[in-house]
Order: sequence, then C-alpha cells, then structure tokens
Amino acid sequence: MNKINLAAYWASSCGGCDIAIVELGEHLLELAQVADIVFWPAATDFKYADVEAMADGFIDLTLFNGAIRTEEDVHIAHLLRQKSKVLIAFGSCAMEGCIPGLSNLVGPERALRRAALETPSTDNPEGVLPQGHFEIPEGALTLPRLCGTLRTLEQVVPVDFKIPGCPPNHDQVWNALQAYLAGHLPKNGLLGVDPRTVCDQCPRVREGKIRVKQFQRPHEVIADPERCFLEQGLICAGPATHAGCGALCVKANMPCRGCYGPPDGVTDQGAALLDAIVASFDGQSDAEVRQIVGTIIDPIGTFYRFSLANSLLQKARALASQGDDPCASQAATEGETL
Amino acid sequence: MIRSDQMDRRFIEEVMAEPGGEHLLTCWSCGTCAATCLVRRFNPAFNPRLILHKAGLGLREAVLSSAEIWACSACDTCYPRCPQGIHISQVMRAIRNVAIRAGYEAPGPTAQVDANRCSGCAVCTRICPYEAIERASQNIDGQERVIARVDRNLCQACGLCVAACPSGAMSLEALNDAELLTRMAAGGWLEHAGFLQGASTTPRLLAFVCQWSVRAEDEWQRIQALNDEHLRVVILPCSGRVEPAHILLALSKGVDGVLVMGCHEGACHYQRGTYLGRGKVALLNEMMAQMGIVRERVRFVESSALERRIFEERLALMREAILALRPALEIPAR
Repeated sequence: MNKINLAAYWASSCGGCDIAIVELGEHLLELAQVADIVFWPAATDFKYADVEAMADGFIDLTLFNGAIRTEEDVHIAHLLRQKSKVLIAFGSCAMEGCIPGLSNLVGPERALRRAALETPSTDNPEGVLPQGHFEIPEGALTLPRLCGTLRTLEQVVPVDFKIPGCPPNHDQVWNALQAYLAGHLPKNGLLGVDPRTVCDQCPRVREGKIRVKQFQRPHEVIADPERCFLEQGLICAGPATHAGCGALCVKANMPCRGCYGPPDGVTDQGAALLDAIVASFDGQSDAEVRQIVGTIIDPIGTFYRFSLANSLLQKARALASQGDDPCASQAATEGETL
Repeated sequence: MIRSDQMDRRFIEEVMAEPGGEHLLTCWSCGTCAATCLVRRFNPAFNPRLILHKAGLGLREAVLSSAEIWACSACDTCYPRCPQGIHISQVMRAIRNVAIRAGYEAPGPTAQVDANRCSGCAVCTRICPYEAIERASQNIDGQERVIARVDRNLCQACGLCVAACPSGAMSLEALNDAELLTRMAAGGWLEHAGFLQGASTTPRLLAFVCQWSVRAEDEWQRIQALNDEHLRVVILPCSGRVEPAHILLALSKGVDGVLVMGCHEGACHYQRGTYLGRGKVALLNEMMAQMGIVRERVRFVESSALERRIFEERLALMREAILALRPALEIPAR
C-alpha cells in the first residue's frame, strides 16, 4: 500500500492541538506505517521552502491548527491549500477562532498592548512593544504583521473537513484519521465527533424544572458534583455544544466551556446557548429578568468563548464598522504595522 | 335545546374527581370569565362559561367532542376575576383529561421531539410554562436514552421550547426556525444593504410581533399593510419565541434595527413568554454593547390588545434613533 503524505501546521494557536496529535501515543506508530510526515513544524524540521517546492496536491492530508491572525498565517493557509488534496481545520482555533478570536472584541493594537504591557504577569519596565522590523549586528529580524481581524481557516481558504475541540480529544483524532483512511467521510464535514450534544454524555442529574434567579461563576461556588450545573446557577455550555469530548470538563466538576462548537444544524453557538440559558431564568417581572441578566458577567466571553470569530454577532459588527481588515483583501501583505 | 336524557351525572363526577375539577359545580354562569378571556378575542367560538355550564349539566358528548375545550391556553386572566374563585384553566384541564381517556385528541399541532437529535438536556422542560414536557427513558434504535417527551394534552403550541432547544430537536409545524426564516427573507427582503451602510435613505427595520399583543382586526390589517422594502413584520405566537440567531442574522445582512413587540408584564398569554422575550433581548443587548454594536438597534417594546397604534409609535421611535446613529458610526454616504 502506498503511504499517504501527511502534514500538520500551527498558525496562531497555543500548541495544544499539536500535543493532541502527540497524544495519539502508540497509534503514532500505526500512523507511521501508513503515512509519511512531510511537514510538521512542531515536531519536524521541514522549512516553508520545502513546502513551496512541493507539487500542487502533493500532500494528501493536512491537519491545520490555529487561527489566522498574521500575514504569515494567511500566506501559509493559501500555500497549504494549494499543496493539499484534503485540508482539515483541526481544533477550535482553525475551525471557529477559539479564545484568540475574543481579541476581535478590541482589535489587534489593543490586544498587543494588553499582552505586552498590561497583564499582571508582564515585566516590561521600558514598555517595549514587539517590532515588525529590527536591526541587529547579524542582520535584520522581522515579525509578521497582525491582521485587523482574526479569522477562521475557512474564512481564508476552502476547507474540506473540520475537527472541533480545544484541543480535539486524542481518541477522536484517531477516530477521524481512521475515518479518513477508510474513506468514511461525513457529509456535513465534521470529523471526530459523537452524535448530539455534551448533555447526551453528561452523567449529572437533571431535575428538569429548576429555574434560577442568578448566575455565578465557577470560582465563586463549590459546585455539587452530581447535579446539573445550570440548575445550580452555573452557566454550562453543554446544551449548545457538540458531543465528542466525552463530557470531560463536567466530569472534573467544571461546567462545559463549549469548545466542541455548535451542534449539527446550528450556525451560531452563542445565540443557541443564549436561548438555552434564558430558558432557565426564574424572573416574574421585567426588573427581575434584568437583574438575572446583570448577574451574567462577560456574556460574550461566556457564550462565544470559542466561536466569536465565526459568529453572526461578529458579522453584524463587521457590517456596521465597514471592513477594517487589510488581511481580508487580496493584498494580504499590506497588513497593519505592529 | 338541552334534553334531560343527554345529561349524565357520572360525567360531572368524573370531571370533579380529576385534580382541578373539584370546583365545577360552584360556577354561577355569570360570564365574567368570558368577558375577560384573551383567547375569546381571537377565537370567538371559545366561551369558558358555556363549557363549564354544559359540563355542569353533564352533557358528556357535547363537551368532549367540542374543539373549544382544547382552546384554553391557561393564561389565567380569568382566575383572579372569577367571583367564585374557580381556577377555570384547571377545570378545563380536568375536562381534557376525561376527553383523552375517552379517546379524544387535541385538534391542533403540538410540539414534536426528534428522538435522534434530542440529548435530554432539560432546557425544554425548564422553559415550558405548562409542564407539558418531561424527560423519560426511551429505547431508540436499541439504545436506552433519556429524552424529552411532550404531553399532547398539556402542550399549548406556544413554541417557546422550539426557540429554546439548542439542538434543533423540537419542532412545531408553522413555528419552526426554517419557516420563520422564510417569512423573514421572503422576496429577498434580507438581501439589501441598509441605512447604516449608506445604501438606503430610510432605515430598514424587522419587527417580530407577538400575536397576542395586537388583537383588533383593523390593527392587524393596518400593521400588515406597513410591510414594504423598509419594514418586514413577522408574526410570532409569543415574543418568547423570538430567536436571537434570527435577530443577528438580520443585523449581519444589513438590517438596521430589530423590534420585538410582546405583551406587558403579567399579561403574557403563555404566562412567562414575555419575560423570556425580554430576557433574550436584554442579554443580546449586553453582548452587542460589548461588541461595539449600538444596543438601540435591537429593542423589546410592549403593547397590549387594548392599545391602539402602539406599533407605529414604537417603529417611528426606532427609526428616529437609527437616523441619529449615522454620525456616531462615521459611515460615509455612498
């Protein structure tokens, strides 16, 4: 049997998705029998030039993780699309923007200042910001410029399949690879998932009629490990999140954060979760309803924690503020300066 | 004409033996319930006084075979007004229970569960104002799973569960998402840029109107006639049926503002629907503010069946508010 050519890439990501591939463990040996790794920056030493030298479609399968945040990400997304027969948006960042996508709330300049100057753990007394171009005796150093808006892979190039998760559960990564190798590919384009939502796999007891007058955040209470989080006044994204993780977080007494994305047939996860959360409001007057809404701190960070970059909410704003994204245009190189 | 040979004492006993049916015979037939009934305003054939009167006479067939016994939506507007303190919706429920045992069925559509998509998350059991949905273990394709089950007798077809279900497992004929989307977008209405993009001199507004917040026929006719390229009116069974995703879709397509009109506090026909509609809009407003979208572009407004021309007034206010937005957004005219 001919081996397939396999590539993996990290755009703007935390590295967790690459760990998820490493976590295949001994399955990696099985994978090595059927696939040659031709590009994987996290683990191998191939260069961009090696990819550029490949014939179009040379790579059979690319697992692309990370969001599209810099000029470099845009460039590699186009390059890998050109060189790959099948391109998979691997993990929440590539699929829907994930946590980095929340930076779209404030834009790249504000996000950069926050990261480089303001976080409690930053030690930067001279207030130095990363420079796009910097001369040192050995030559010039450059950094890619940031796009105005962080995008999902599919917002930049066509994608064949998606594997959700932050990061994808390694068992599901293996399931997805096996499905690909066996040619059992889903019509809806989603690999590495189970049917229905996280609630389907959640072992907690749902009484079913309990409504709440306020919501708290996980650090404010010690949750009952047996009962449904929503019925304890903790926002859990389980009802509006695709099953696939095996309800990992809820089994560790932490409400579902929503990383597996929206259920089948749902386009906007945040809106679906909003509907599900309001359903449990115990408010008998306008004032009470507003009071309950007031107890939900950072609604976007809660409802769109992983999906803001791919949301209707962001689209609605993009329209109101008239495209401010130089990377979105053909001239991707005209990115904003750092 | 009522014939004595049609009167069945056992029927009266049967109704009274049902929980909630105890007070059947305390009814004086004064008609206060009918005078205040919200259903009656749009379904004149429904008269709670007559139903109680006939049931009190033991007219089994006449009562059980009538379509009207299923029409009460348990809004309980009549309950505090009844001089005898009869909880009439409970008596109706008792009558319906007897009807179901006798093999009669509710004539209208009720919510349906798609077993393959339902995760048993309990969102619908929490939202239902009528406790018409329970979770129960069922064997689906050889697998034992706990999923939602709708009691046809209790379901009032308000559609709140259809809006709430995050898996798209709940459906209700004409009230499904796809159907509402069709009504929103019919004729390519959504495919036009709006005022805030500088493509129209008049704001383009989408309105979701609760069917109970406007009752008089002339009001409806006038509101429907307002539909044009700058306004699309979509009628909902309840403001609680509104979908935040539909609102966001409209905004993302260039609609300038979305108005959700529902009933006053305490006047919701489906008990808590108006609070759900308010909750959704309030929470969405918070997210819009966080996102830098002017929150005034989505509003909840209230109206009641007794008020006139509220819709036009609120619409005009929203238009004004949006016309005032333009400088703030610094969008150059094209």
